Amino acid sequence: MIVPRPIGPRVVRAAILAAASVLLLAYVLAPVAWLLSSSLQTEREIVSIPPHWIPDHPTAQNFRAIFATGLGLAQPSPNGADPASGGFIPSVAGNLLPAMGNSFIVATAVVILNLLIGVPAAYAIAKIRFRGRGVALYAILATRVIPDIALVVPFFLVVRKLGLLDNLASLIITYLAITVPFSVFVLASFFEQMPDDLDRAARVDGCSRLQVLLRVFLPLARPALVAISLFAFLASWNEFLLALMFTQTAASQTLPIIVAGITSDFTVSFSFLNAAGVLAVLPPVALAVIFERYIVSGLTAGAVKG
Amino acid sequence: MARIRFQSVTKRYANGATAVAGLDLDIADQEFLVLLGPSGCGKSTTLNMIAGLEEISEGVLLFDDQIVNNVPAHKRDVAMVFQSYALYPHMTVFENIAFGLRMRRVGEADLRMRVMQAADKLEITHLLERRPSQLSGGQRQRVALGRAMVREPAVFLMDEPLSNLDASLRISMRAQIRHLHTQMRSTFVYVTHDQAEALTLADRIVVMKDGTIQQIGTPDEIYESPTNVFVASFLGSPTINLLEGALERENGAACFKRGTLTIPLPALQGGARNIVLGLRPEDVGTPGDGPQLHGVVDTAMPSGADQFLGVLVDDAMLFLRVGKDVRVRAGEAISFGLNPERLHVFDRETGRSLRGAA
Ligand SMILES: Nc1ncnc2c1ncn2[C@@H]1O[C@H](COP(=O)(O)OP(=O)(O)OP(=O)(O)O)[C@@H](O)[C@H]1O
Ligand SMILES: [Mg+2]
Repeated sequence: MIVPRPIGPRVVRAAILAAASVLLLAYVLAPVAWLLSSSLQTEREIVSIPPHWIPDHPTAQNFRAIFATGLGLAQPSPNGADPASGGFIPSVAGNLLPAMGNSFIVATAVVILNLLIGVPAAYAIAKIRFRGRGVALYAILATRVIPDIALVVPFFLVVRKLGLLDNLASLIITYLAITVPFSVFVLASFFEQMPDDLDRAARVDGCSRLQVLLRVFLPLARPALVAISLFAFLASWNEFLLALMFTQTAASQTLPIIVAGITSDFTVSFSFLNAAGVLAVLPPVALAVIFERYIVSGLTAGAVKG
Repeated sequence: MARIRFQSVTKRYANGATAVAGLDLDIADQEFLVLLGPSGCGKSTTLNMIAGLEEISEGVLLFDDQIVNNVPAHKRDVAMVFQSYALYPHMTVFENIAFGLRMRRVGEADLRMRVMQAADKLEITHLLERRPSQLSGGQRQRVALGRAMVREPAVFLMDEPLSNLDASLRISMRAQIRHLHTQMRSTFVYVTHDQAEALTLADRIVVMKDGTIQQIGTPDEIYESPTNVFVASFLGSPTINLLEGALERENGAACFKRGTLTIPLPALQGGARNIVLGLRPEDVGTPGDGPQLHGVVDTAMPSGADQFLGVLVDDAMLFLRVGKDVRVRAGEAISFGLNPERLHVFDRETGRSLRGAA
């Protein structure tokens, strides 16, 4: 009675799924792999055909240049190549680390302020019935319908009036305007999913509204908090347009501005550009790895019944 | 300890819906009061106003002699058990129970002792380190009870705390809650739409409908002398039989007439009018000297201790409860004796009882 089973549709499906996953992974990871690999290559190797995915002569010269302090303008290249051949270190190399610092300060401040502003606002919208609650939520959402480019000029005028041009505060303020609505929206829907009775139980148990928020809702909202923090951090870290408008000197320029600046030198060092790129993606990737656990649980959030 | 008084309290929600209208209610200290009524009648709203979870639109709410309209929930000495239990998912059972005490800055040693005592009483000591998600419904329910209990509040509120439990657990929990009340010496206000629960638990029952009070009284008063058709039909299982007919006077004596059916109602005052006669299923006896009811058995349904008969009287189907010794089959004629004292008579227009009041 034992009939040999043909290769079932189940096996075929698994094979197709596996192949598709590999393709997708390759598609997503190839540029990142090339970024990393080429940042360790010399300018000569980087242009070789076919490309070397694994460098023949890995070199850290680009990173050394970035981390070496006191590099001034227009350094001659360490390997003595002629600038015209493209093997030199660009003039802005010494600005990369300060710019990274700027980016970090701005992104961190935006995250912290997002939490301080977004959490109470979201709780109020989700759980307190007050006059104008619906309007408030709509107004917050409406600001996200306007494309950022439309806001550049008004933002610029406000920032100039405040005397904050070329100041990190200008970036923090404008990034908040962009990220806080999103944070409030995400958190409010998260809080809304939590049973009203939880809020009521805590209040009857002796919590003021603020205590309910701190002792019951925040611990439960950790995945959502991580999600909005990451979003705010990444949005600030990557932002280009506003930073380009409001910053003029190394005092306030952020990483994207400096990296973009590398390409506007009259010769471009691709390996150096890619080394800068590696530095630029490192913090976001590190954050994603650290908080991976929460990001996953954030996606399956809402399971707070019980 | 608290006496709770509603004085013409009205609650309108933001969408304009009036959930409770002109509520007057005086709940005595340490009373066990049950709010009973169908879904949407305003029971939870009333309870939430006591807890301070809903604002009062009009009128005054007093705890003892203090007006508490504007006292926020966390400043009232009130504990509450929710239908959904609403346990804190991120805390252990111990921390759930201890939470209210922590918020009130009870010392660690005292807190530990009170939590352990409550857990002991509710037989959940072995669950203290678990999270709510690792508990069964009945266990969660007991944790919720424990969380309210340890607070030793002046006012103990419960909003359908047993409705998510299975039938047998519900019955044993009723006994526990009743026991809790005698021990705690708090004022209990208990919401349910289960009339059996109300009848077993309450010192007094408040029957509500559409945001207004229909009747307030002891379980006996509510059951034996309902003031209107709604209250009469809301309590009792199976529900009371209602027969529409006319009140007529023959030689000065009042009687109920419907088709060939005539039932004298000697005690009744007032002139001829359309009435509704209410007959509880258990209020029939063997045919005697009193008024009688003749009909044909339609169905006979044994139910353990006794049996229910569907009896066709003229064109009306009555459900009656009789002993198991009455052996009848469908299609057979049957007669019952009635006790006029136990018949309920309502005005057909207003639905009001014509007993006592009339
Ligand atoms: N937040 C609210 N906003 C608007 N209307 C409400 C709100 N809460 C309750 N209501 C309305 O008020 C009325 C009374 O509601 P309530 O919750 O007090 O009823 P209930 O007697 O507890 O019913 P149930 O037995 O279903 O719990 C209902 O008609 C309900 O629709
Ligand atoms: Mg309710």
